[in-house]
Amino acid sequence: MPTSRRAVLATALAGTLALPAIRSPRAAGPVTLRAVMQGDLRSFDPVWTTANISAYYGAMVYDTLFGVDDQYKPQPQMVDQWSLSDDKKIYTFHLRDGLAWQDNTPVTAADCVASIRRWAVRNSGGQAIMARAADLSAKDDRTIVLRMKEPFGLVLTALATCTTPICFIMPKKDAETDPFQQVSGRIGSGPFTFNQGQTQPGSRYVFDKWDKYVPRKDKASGLAGGKVVYLDQVIWENIADQQTAAAALNAGEIDFYELPPLDLLPQIQSNPDIKLQVMNPTGYVGEARMNCLHPPFDKVKARLAMLYLIDQKAILNATFGDPKYYHPSPSIFGYGTPMSNDANTAWFKQAPDPAKAKQLFQESGYKGEKVIVLQATDFAFMNNSAQLIAGWLQGIGVNAELAAMNWGEVITRRASMNPDDQGGWDIFVTYGGGFDFSNPITLIALAANGKKGWFGWPEDAEYEALRTQWAEAATEVEQKSIAEKMQARAWDFGLMAMLGSWTQPAAMRKTVDGFLTNPDVVPFWNVTRT
Amino acid sequence: MAAYIARRLSATLVVMAIVGVIVFLLLHAAPGSPAAIIAGDNATPAQIALINHELGLDRPLVVQFGIWAWRVVRGQFGTSIFSGVPVMDLVEQRLPATVSLSLVTIAFAATIAVIAGVFAAWRAGGLLDQVLMGIAALGFSVPVFVVGYLLIYLFAITLHWLPVQGYVPLSRGLGSWLAHLVLPGTALGLAYLALIARITRASMLEVLSEDYIRTARAKGASPLSQLFGHALRNAGVPIATVIGIGIALLISGVVLTETVFNIPGIGRLTVDAITNRDYPIIQGVMVIFSGVYVLINLMVDLSYTLIDPRIRR
Amino acid sequence: MSDVAILPIAAEVRRHGLRRLFQRHPTMVIGGTVIAAMVLLALAAPLFAPNPLSMNPMHRLRPPSGVHWFGTDPLGRDVFARTVYGARISLFVGLTVALGGVAGGLVFGLLCGFYRRIDAMVMRLMDGLMAIPSILLAIALVSLWQGGVPVVILAILIPELPRDVRLVRSIVLGVRERPYVEAAIAGGARTSKILRRHILPSTIAPLTVQGTYVCASAILVEAGLSFLGAGIPPSIPTWGNMIAGSELYLALAPWTIFCPGIALAILVLAVNLFGDGLRDWLDPRFAR
Repeated sequence: MPTSRRAVLATALAGTLALPAIRSPRAAGPVTLRAVMQGDLRSFDPVWTTANISAYYGAMVYDTLFGVDDQYKPQPQMVDQWSLSDDKKIYTFHLRDGLAWQDNTPVTAADCVASIRRWAVRNSGGQAIMARAADLSAKDDRTIVLRMKEPFGLVLTALATCTTPICFIMPKKDAETDPFQQVSGRIGSGPFTFNQGQTQPGSRYVFDKWDKYVPRKDKASGLAGGKVVYLDQVIWENIADQQTAAAALNAGEIDFYELPPLDLLPQIQSNPDIKLQVMNPTGYVGEARMNCLHPPFDKVKARLAMLYLIDQKAILNATFGDPKYYHPSPSIFGYGTPMSNDANTAWFKQAPDPAKAKQLFQESGYKGEKVIVLQATDFAFMNNSAQLIAGWLQGIGVNAELAAMNWGEVITRRASMNPDDQGGWDIFVTYGGGFDFSNPITLIALAANGKKGWFGWPEDAEYEALRTQWAEAATEVEQKSIAEKMQARAWDFGLMAMLGSWTQPAAMRKTVDGFLTNPDVVPFWNVTRT
Repeated sequence: MAAYIARRLSATLVVMAIVGVIVFLLLHAAPGSPAAIIAGDNATPAQIALINHELGLDRPLVVQFGIWAWRVVRGQFGTSIFSGVPVMDLVEQRLPATVSLSLVTIAFAATIAVIAGVFAAWRAGGLLDQVLMGIAALGFSVPVFVVGYLLIYLFAITLHWLPVQGYVPLSRGLGSWLAHLVLPGTALGLAYLALIARITRASMLEVLSEDYIRTARAKGASPLSQLFGHALRNAGVPIATVIGIGIALLISGVVLTETVFNIPGIGRLTVDAITNRDYPIIQGVMVIFSGVYVLINLMVDLSYTLIDPRIRR
Repeated sequence: MSDVAILPIAAEVRRHGLRRLFQRHPTMVIGGTVIAAMVLLALAAPLFAPNPLSMNPMHRLRPPSGVHWFGTDPLGRDVFARTVYGARISLFVGLTVALGGVAGGLVFGLLCGFYRRIDAMVMRLMDGLMAIPSILLAIALVSLWQGGVPVVILAILIPELPRDVRLVRSIVLGVRERPYVEAAIAGGARTSKILRRHILPSTIAPLTVQGTYVCASAILVEAGLSFLGAGIPPSIPTWGNMIAGSELYLALAPWTIFCPGIALAILVLAVNLFGDGLRDWLDPRFAR
């Protein structure tokens, strides 16, 4: 690089002045953890949005009635005793001692009832509960009573769900906000307070330990157990540039990097002060949703063609590069989850088979209609997969066209039910937490109830009947058997196209320890930094 | 003089008003609105329309502009649609980083560039001149972000001399503040430096052939005194002009540099706001920026009278 | 700027030949040759370069080899092919913006120079446009109107126009004050004749030089827009979006960044040198 002597001298001088600052970036005193999380925190209402980062915020500032442990079983959290009547229709939840809002007022059952109602509007598990509920009310300040019309085995699972939106308990006045508008409050009853003064939206988010939080006595496990906080402050730095974030971790300027791109792992791992940890053992699952309302994907055969067209290994390798971290998988229930199975997956052994895909397209009566593939350029997985899919479609003579935009615009456009020429779409790519795919009631993407469902709007009565059966299954064995029938049906009518599954480790300095693994949330209690 | 300044200041306000209109029309005439992004994943068109209504985005454009302009005149730039934080607060939070980066860049670039340009002109046609101008040409041919990555790779990752990213406020120590600004300042300043060096050289060449320089030499003035004492002063006007023009270039480069080096400045704030369609931030920042730009040009013009007493208005 | 007409230049070349031209204006000839070479390579791309769009994810990030001269990118595409095809876009964007700037500058500059009322209005508008940081304006335009090549070109051109308009306008104002022009106007000569005879010749040289700088700047701005994600969609290879798409691989696969990066630097440098040389040639005071 062209530099004059003066510039070199200036640089060297600045370097020496800065050395003490670089070697010990933080002075002794309060223990602060600096983390780069998976995205920017745009919404402070974890019930209104499904964005995972908002759920992380929720876990810092709010608390839940029940939480899942590391075996994915619901455990009481804000509740200390609960009971179910003999006819299995009446649930009574009693709040434990010491629960308070961060403005020092006590948490009451009325707050909880309002919060559950609001959450239930936005979460499909909650919808399932309220559809079968006769009454939900606060018996007194510390007791909540839920009366069901008929027994429903998934009540606790739904209340404890870590699939967003999570049932965070908010103060009554916030919980009475319309579920389709964002709350303005930032006060919760959780282990951290949100430090609005030091926060700079878009740049950094600051959380302080809340001394008045009373953790449970049991051991922390997943989102259950005692939430004991050992850090004084947690700062989320929004470093958008991944190369810069990795370099910052290497240099010790940040302590934790949630999702470093897999390509950078070798560079990160070569630093002896850094270790990797998979925060989410069930990983993530990619899916390509097709628009079932308009041609060509309103025909089953066109949708099934996609199953033969997509080369999962290519899709996964394009973004993740290292076979150690990815698994092609044909199950609608993800890879390695309790419900994963291989019913009706003969097509998977044959894929990729472009000739067969082309044949199926022709049999579906394809007349050359445009196929618009939404391409989110700011997320590597979506970006790469969209390009591959469009390329493969073009290769078999389908008139595929990429529409490049950022993710915010994708989520706006995918909501449109219009045809292509009026701002519609045909294919979009997304991914979700692997664990979420194990529950077809709480994950709306696994529904096939047409226009009431999730974007793509697949519709099949037989599948829906099976899904209701799954919700009412009494045992896990029964659930698994129904799951196999669901999948068999799904691959007959083309629910969606799976893109495979992967895990992605977090990278952190070796001075950091105690992160709990959890499918959907990265909790900061139990974490120490030396 | 006072009348001149008063006239220029009122012209500044006119420019800011025009910018306000341009930006407003640009944003509202384009398809899409923040309502859909705010409404979130599963919203219905009815819900989006409701949010649109609450943001006042369904009123006639003229009315919306009128309301906004009236508030701006009273110093209220509104609040960010997404974070709910007042625009002025956001600008205040981000301003120090951008200003620090700009100052360090200008100081570094202007100083080195003027000196280089002067020497190149002095030895016009010779090896020094060709080498310096060659380096200068390279300086504004390579994109800022490529230079930035190279510098990070070399000085931060490989040599560990300087930090990789981030911004440390001056209040936390001069050394830290400067250390975090050296690499971004260099990356950003390179193109700027090249431009100023070339203009300095060109301007000096014009002046060096003038009679009064030969007179000074005949009178025994040392080369340094000739160059910096006499010639530079006379060549000063175009140099000051380009430093002023360079501010505009700088603001563009700042956006890229802030992204590469993760500096929480106004450039990044605005880019994020544009992606989110956060209208109040975009409108507020553009108007403020334009005011700053025009004021700087005014100061550059005023500096002409200092540099060259022959110019008087 | 002087008002030397084009004719003597051609005469000089005819008289002394190209070698003399090179001796006297090496930068211009070197710059021009490099540009011409790139244009030829870009146009001839389909003849010798592989398909720049075919993806092969199982062969991603391979270093340069006999099969892939510049290696492969993160999606397994051939970097050499993409670099050569990328030249097309960069050249096209640069050229179109330069032409647009020259044309727009000429039209509005002449109008402003001649008609006082138009001048007042247009110059205020130009002042406003100049006051908005160009890259922010460009990002806003691309974001709001959904990028594609025409939108990106417009987005780069619009912030660039005020400078060109000012240039032409100042030339026109300067020429108008010359005694013989004033005399011609007073004597009732038609505006079009004044334009043709006196004004246009003075604008050609400076505008041409300005055009080369606009071209160089446009190529860089396009790269910057792509880097920020507001440029030409990634399905069309441009040097800017090649660099943006490979920013993670600075250490792992530097060829993915350096091949387009060096090509970009070479082209921009060549255009700048050409512009320098052109300016030196047209303005005898700076000739060596």
